[in-house]
Amino acid sequence: MLLADDEKPDQQKDDADKKTVSRKRGNRLGFWFFKMFIRVSGLYGAYGLLYFVSLYYLVFDKDAVSSARSYIEKRFPESGYFKKYFHIYKLFVSQGRQLIDRFSVVCSKKGAFDIRVNGYDGLANVLNNSDRGAILLTSHLGNWQIALTALNKLGKKVFLLMRKEDNEAVRDFLNVGYEEGDINIISPEQAFGGVIEIMNALGKGHIVSIMGDRRYGAKASKVKFLGDYAYFPFSAFAIAASAQCPIVLLLSAKVSAYEYVVDVTNILYPECSGRKKDIELIPWIQKYASILEDFVNMNPYQCFLFHDIWKDDK
Amino acid sequence: MEEVKEMNLADIRKLLKELLIESLSLEDIQPDEIADDEILFGEGLGLDSLDAVEIVVLLQRNFGLEVKDMKQGKEIFYSIDTLARYVYNNTRIK
Repeated sequence: MLLADDEKPDQQKDDADKKTVSRKRGNRLGFWFFKMFIRVSGLYGAYGLLYFVSLYYLVFDKDAVSSARSYIEKRFPESGYFKKYFHIYKLFVSQGRQLIDRFSVVCSKKGAFDIRVNGYDGLANVLNNSDRGAILLTSHLGNWQIALTALNKLGKKVFLLMRKEDNEAVRDFLNVGYEEGDINIISPEQAFGGVIEIMNALGKGHIVSIMGDRRYGAKASKVKFLGDYAYFPFSAFAIAASAQCPIVLLLSAKVSAYEYVVDVTNILYPECSGRKKDIELIPWIQKYASILEDFVNMNPYQCFLFHDIWKDDK
Repeated sequence: MEEVKEMNLADIRKLLKELLIESLSLEDIQPDEIADDEILFGEGLGLDSLDAVEIVVLLQRNFGLEVKDMKQGKEIFYSIDTLARYVYNNTRIK
């Protein structure tokens, strides 16, 4: 989320909406309850509880259902009215599982999951042969926080471009913003959207992690995604082009209860020299969108966008 | 980079205007149309955060200068004049 000053009113509106929604979901009592459940009955017990919690959200949380609907309608266009609700329910359960996994990692069960990394050697090679750092492009797919832990052994300093979590309970229980290891936070809610810190980090050969699939009011490029044109922010691609550094796509999929597969095989080198960055960068953004599409075709219930990216909400 | 040390403030302002227009592809603007004290971001020239990326690169590649943090960036990126003073002062220290 890199914003021009004239984009900030939209950002604030988006923030206000997000705050209202995020305050509703996840409170300290709920997290404490899940924590106890994990301790007493293990992961599977907590997963079991999710079927009821997700049903509650499906029936009573119209905002949650509505935010999931745009993706479900694009991913399952052939499904009827009730079938779509069933898909949304499965999506809620899947997201709940990955939050529990994250919670379980925070609760010091670090070895609880097997994390297989595809493309690790290639990534290490790229980083070791470049003094310009790299942008790690994350998405609202799978469990990117767990995926990041798999990259600790690269021995590189990682900077996360992320906003402060609005919901205090979520922040404390999921350890959001207090990542362990050599991980630092750059806030996009500062002058120039944090780009000075980003450029300094890249210039020192560090990794900067940026979310690539939601614009939060920032400028975007229009590319094909799941059969229709969607709006993806182009700022990460523009920064990589200016800094002449690679973009590494980070994807992670939960493949079984205790196993994740992290993929870092896709490395892009965007180029852009003109002012029309939204147009010039389309080939690389389209490539990114196509990779995401392949992912959601293989893992339909691991897309946690919860936003209508097909709508031009600049 | 060496010749910058010989330049006075007015020359650096002129050079920066030319570099800004080139780096940011401001095709419809001539250097003399940018006032020395014109605000670069938001109002004024209307640059945005991605243009700040280009200015950071411009300072690194042309003058070997880094902007330490956002606070310093806010002061330096205010106008052509503040940018020029930063370049003038720091290329002489080197």
